[in-house]
Amino acid sequence: MLNRRILEFGMPPVIGYLVVLLVFGATTGYLFSITEYAGYLCVIVALGYTSRLSEPKRNDFLKSIFNQRRYLTIRLLENLLCSLPFLIVLLYHGALTESLLLIVGVMLGGLFQINTNFNTTIPTPFGRKPFEYVIGFRTTFFIFPFAYLITAIAISTGNFNLGIASIALIALVCMSYYSKTENEYFVWNFALSPKRFLLVKIKSCLLNFTFLSIPNMLALSFFFPSNSPIVALSFLVCCIYLATIVLAKYSAFPNKLGLAQEILVGISFVMPLILVATIPLFYSQSVTKLKAILE
Amino acid sequence: MISITNLSKFYESNQVLNAVNLEFGKGAVHGIVGENGAGKTTLFRCIAGLETYEGQISSDFDKLKNHLGLLPTDPFFFAKITGKEYIQLLVNSRQLKLKNTEDRNVFDLPLDQYVSTYSTGMKKKLALTAILLQENEVFILDEPFNGVDLQSNFVLVEIIKKLRGLDKTVIISSHIFSTLADTCDKIHLMKNGEMVKVAEQKDFGDLETEMKDFTIGNRIEKLGLK
Repeated sequence: MLNRRILEFGMPPVIGYLVVLLVFGATTGYLFSITEYAGYLCVIVALGYTSRLSEPKRNDFLKSIFNQRRYLTIRLLENLLCSLPFLIVLLYHGALTESLLLIVGVMLGGLFQINTNFNTTIPTPFGRKPFEYVIGFRTTFFIFPFAYLITAIAISTGNFNLGIASIALIALVCMSYYSKTENEYFVWNFALSPKRFLLVKIKSCLLNFTFLSIPNMLALSFFFPSNSPIVALSFLVCCIYLATIVLAKYSAFPNKLGLAQEILVGISFVMPLILVATIPLFYSQSVTKLKAILE
Repeated sequence: MISITNLSKFYESNQVLNAVNLEFGKGAVHGIVGENGAGKTTLFRCIAGLETYEGQISSDFDKLKNHLGLLPTDPFFFAKITGKEYIQLLVNSRQLKLKNTEDRNVFDLPLDQYVSTYSTGMKKKLALTAILLQENEVFILDEPFNGVDLQSNFVLVEIIKKLRGLDKTVIISSHIFSTLADTCDKIHLMKNGEMVKVAEQKDFGDLETEMKDFTIGNRIEKLGLK
C-alpha cells in the first residue's frame, strides 16, 4: 500500500522511504528535544497506529484463511514490525521503560481484537455542527479525560510544561479528525463559495478545539498565573496548525492528502517558520480544488 | 426550468453521453429509463455539476447546485454518525435551521442511532428525508424506490406528487416502470448515452410494451431452459 502511494506521487519507493524516515527521525528528534514526555507520546502514537490492525473485519478475514497459530504469529509480527521505528527511536533516546511498555502493548494488541464499531450512540457536544468533530470525538473520546488528568498532574507537581503538552495532545487529536477526505457529495452540498466554505470549516474546527481545550487552559492560567501568556501563545500556535491541517486537507480534494502535502505539513511541525509559505500555498490550492465542485 | 443542449461526456475516449438535448419544466416529474450503463447517473452528475462536460446546462437559478437535492443511487454515509446528525449536516450546508426533525421524520427512522445500523432501504429513506428538508427547488432521485419497503414506496409516491404540486422540478430514474408510470408526466428513454424517445403519460403503456419487446426479444429462448 505504501509502495503504491509513493509511486502515485511519482517517486521511486526507495527515495520515498528515505524521505519518510528522515521526516520521522526529524519529528521524533524534535519531540525529544522539547519535552521529557516524548517517549510516552511515541508509545501512544505507536499503539494508536498498530491498533488499526486489530480491526475485527480485517482479523476475521485473516482468521478465515490462516489457522490459529499462523494467525497469531502474523498478528504479533505485523504489530512488532509496525512499531519497530518507534521502538528504535525509544531505544536510541534511552527510553527503556517506554520501550518495554510499547513491546507489551503491541503484543497484547496482537492477541486481542479491538472492536471499535460499537453500536451504542456515544453522546457528543458537537451534534449541531457535524461531522468532523462528531465522528472524531466518538472515536477518541477516551483521550480527553486522559488529557485533563495530565493537566491535573501538571498542576499538582508544578510541572507547567506537562500542562502545555496536554493542550498539544488535544490539538493533535483534533488534527487527526481531518486526516480523512469526505465524499465529494458532502462538499458539493454546501451553498457557499470556496473561500467561505474554508472559513466555515476553519471556524468550526477552532471553536470546537477551544471547547475541548478550555478546561486545560483555564486551569493552567489559574494555577500558573505568571505563565498565562505562554498558555495563550500555545493555544494560538495550536490554532494555526489546526487551520493549516484543514487547508492541507482541501488542497488535495477530492483526493486524499498527497505525499507532497504530508511532507510539507511534517516540515511545518519541525520548522514553524515555513508556515508563512505553506498556509498561503494550501489556501490557494484549496480554493482552486473547491472551485471545481462548489462553483 | 432546466435546459440541456448538446450535452456530451467522455471518459477518456469512451463517450458516455452523446449530444443530449432535454428540458425539465417546473411543476413536472420527469422519468429517465434505460439499461444499466445507458448514462443516467452520468447525466444526473452533469446536471449537478459533479462532472465536467461538453454542451450547455442552463436553469432559472444563478447556481443550480445550490437549489438541487440529489439522491444518489447508493448514498454515502460516515461511520459513527446518527441519522439526525446526517440530516443536520445536509441542512447546515444550505445555511438553514433544522426545526421539528421528529415531526418531519415521515419514514419513522431511528434518528438517534448510527446510520451504520440502518438497512439499505432505511439509508435511502434517510438520504431522501435530508434532501427534502433542504427545501430544494429541483430534485434528482436516482433509483429512489430501490431497496425501499412497499409501505414507504406509497409514501414516496405521494411525496413526489406533493413536490409536483409545489411547482418543483423532479427528475427520477428507476428500473421499475410501474413506479415511474404512477408518478411521471414524461418518461425519457436513454440508450447508449443518447435520448432515443420521450413519452407523454398517455403513451406510457406503448413505451413499456416497446421496451419489453426490444429488451426481451428472443433472449429467453437463447437460455435454452429445460
